[in-house]
Amino acid sequence: MFDFLKHFATPSQLREAGVLGMNRRNYEIIAKSNRRRLYPLVDDKVQTKKLAAGVGINTPHLIGVIDVQNEVDRFLSLVEGYKEFVIKPAHGSGGKGVLVIKSYDEKQFVTASEKVLSYHEVYQHISNILSGLYSLGGKYDVAVLEEMVHFSNQFQDFSYQGIPDVRVIVYQGFPAMAMMRLATKESGGRANLHQGAVGVGIDIKSGCAVAAVSHNRPISFHPDTGADLMKLQVPFWREHLEIAAKGYEMTGLGYLGADIVLDKYRGPMMLELNARPGLAIQIANGCGLRDLLKRIRNYYPKGLTWSERVDYVLK
Amino acid sequence: MLNKLKSVRFFLTVGLVLSIAFAGYAAYYKIRYWGFNFTPKQTTDVWTVEEHVSFMPNGSNIRVSMARPLSTAGFKVLDEDAVAPKYKIEKKTERIEITSKPKSKLQDIYYRVLLYDNVDSRGKTPAEKPSAPQKPIMDEQTSVVAGQLLEMAAQREGDPIQQVIALFNQNPPDETVQSFVPSPRTDKATAQAVIDLLALKDISARMVRGIKLTEGKKTLMPDVMLEAYIDGMWKIYNLETGKKGVPSNFIIFQRGGNSLVDVEGGTDSVTKFSVMKSIRSSFRMAGHRAELSHSRSLFNYSIYNLPLNEQNTLKWLMIFPLAILVVVLMRNVVGIQTMGTFTPMLIAMSLVKTGFWPGLICFSLILGAGLLIRAGLSKLNLLLVPRISAVVIFVILIMQVLSVIGYQWKWNIAVSALSFPIIIMAWVIERASITWEEDGAANATKEIVYSVLVAIITYFVIVNEYIRHIMFAFNEFNLVILFIVMLLGTYTGYRLTELTRFAPLAKKDEKHV
Repeated sequence: MFDFLKHFATPSQLREAGVLGMNRRNYEIIAKSNRRRLYPLVDDKVQTKKLAAGVGINTPHLIGVIDVQNEVDRFLSLVEGYKEFVIKPAHGSGGKGVLVIKSYDEKQFVTASEKVLSYHEVYQHISNILSGLYSLGGKYDVAVLEEMVHFSNQFQDFSYQGIPDVRVIVYQGFPAMAMMRLATKESGGRANLHQGAVGVGIDIKSGCAVAAVSHNRPISFHPDTGADLMKLQVPFWREHLEIAAKGYEMTGLGYLGADIVLDKYRGPMMLELNARPGLAIQIANGCGLRDLLKRIRNYYPKGLTWSERVDYVLK
Repeated sequence: MLNKLKSVRFFLTVGLVLSIAFAGYAAYYKIRYWGFNFTPKQTTDVWTVEEHVSFMPNGSNIRVSMARPLSTAGFKVLDEDAVAPKYKIEKKTERIEITSKPKSKLQDIYYRVLLYDNVDSRGKTPAEKPSAPQKPIMDEQTSVVAGQLLEMAAQREGDPIQQVIALFNQNPPDETVQSFVPSPRTDKATAQAVIDLLALKDISARMVRGIKLTEGKKTLMPDVMLEAYIDGMWKIYNLETGKKGVPSNFIIFQRGGNSLVDVEGGTDSVTKFSVMKSIRSSFRMAGHRAELSHSRSLFNYSIYNLPLNEQNTLKWLMIFPLAILVVVLMRNVVGIQTMGTFTPMLIAMSLVKTGFWPGLICFSLILGAGLLIRAGLSKLNLLLVPRISAVVIFVILIMQVLSVIGYQWKWNIAVSALSFPIIIMAWVIERASITWEEDGAANATKEIVYSVLVAIITYFVIVNEYIRHIMFAFNEFNLVILFIVMLLGTYTGYRLTELTRFAPLAKKDEKHV
């Protein structure tokens, strides 16, 4: 009769497990660490790219920006010379409105998920971005054209289409927790957990998988490719952490989520930063954030450079 | 950082406590002085007592003097007016005087008093200390009889006054008693006899004339009671039963020996009293009560003094804070994600206007039709603003069609379509269809169901007439809600839904233990 209670934990159980809840995240962590005027730095991808270049973080090359409707038909001339490209809204979130074109001629555009779009459809997509369809709060937006990431063969078996990325939570400049997000058939090639992507908790010291979840429940194998998720290890782990740690200097945000992808040719690159990273990462790691953040706040040394902080985390 | 958090909470908690104290006092004040009630549709009895004096002028100047009812008793005078054309009307503290030059025809003068039962002030008659009673002047024989009567009275039960009253109510009447009262025996004469006897015992007593309020009463005689000063207080006695205390519904017009109505310059005067009862909403009476309790200026600056139309709008607005509180609880404590922060609240408001099932069915019809049309629209690849505008126009069209069909088929459910906020409906449709396209039908359905669920919960909170009445009549409680909402803004505990969302983390911990 009370079977459903099995799916519930008591608040004290969660507290013991050090789980960080949404309210506490908003009130104690985000509101106190992230000043609101810093948000535009990470909400606007063009801004983020410029700032990243300033502190030496790799990001996908910017091809161009379309900011007014009558320039939309210029997009073909902008991408001239590029074999493939990505269109995304500058103020998008959660992968909404991202269009990856991996080959095209003047009439047909093939997306990463092998869908064929007409010129008009791509044109329409950019128009939608400009009219604010994918931006936070529906405000007018600009479309960003950038180089496609050539994702490393290392993760071939671990992701169903789409690009797997690493999300690192950085608190007061210290990388605190990490997970890798793998696209599935259900998520439609996107790496959002609530759309059905797989989250793999990554040990912050070694870059090795520690646990994996799909739809909030623990799993061990990728639902589409069948790959053993526990064998997942992220190469260039230190470089990943360095990018994440630099995000602090770059934005001044005390609590942020860095989304990092591994490019076959250019190594780890920062895709975007998030000022309000979600809490699902705790489930993927099978570990709560609350005590971890408290430890960082109270016991970790202050005033270190980004490389000293990475050293401190790795030691 | 932690100290700062605590001080914010402390500040807000102090605010909450103060606002509760303020709202509590305001509620007390409004109930005490303005006659507000926790229950809606509370009514107050309003009595109209009409005194009709008719007489034949005798050619000299006319002067009619009538006793005014005394507000100090359990009743308060709401309004009074005298209908006496071409007379000069002058109100004095205890009497109203109507004067005129000589007239010739039969005269009719009306004096009307509107009274309401002011339960709160019952039994608080201020007692002015009377001077020692004047001993009646009696001849020898009467003094002897009086002495006998007092001796007889002493045998009877009750306090001295009740003993004397009992003497005059014996059945069959005692002869000695009969001889003491001039015949024919009237209430007035009996009262005077009792007063005389009491004076011999050094007890001050006086006649009290008034009207017992019974519906539809018509009488020629005022009711007479006896008031005696005993134990430092004036107490009222029934002259027939000896019962102590003001009977309910007795309005005192006059104390002491003066007559209720004096007519000079006229003959054959007849006075008739008639009583009528009417019922008024307590709320409408608030202004009068405020005036009587000398808080009129405060009342003038309250929302209850606004025109009724504005009051109704405000009554509607006053439940918003409560609905907002429900939404805040749902989102931050329960953790249900809804479409738009206040969309469920606005849907709930519409449900209140349409009724539950009709509203819900109608909402589903509009949403369903809207989603179908929106699915067609998405094939056209319109830009955002024109597309949303098209959805808005479609929603208006759907509402028109529904209400026309509803009217023709006498299907009341559909007529309520017009009560839903158009723009909100359009955004719900737009949001649902985008979620549908991007996150799948399951997520879209989930969002809709959650939003409607929150709307239903909100509905059941605000549909209650008592709650609506209380939020309006005691609008200071909105201040309490404000502080509760702000305190919830510092709530850092887990949300209810997080207890299942993060359950895997806790369960794992258990195994290790």
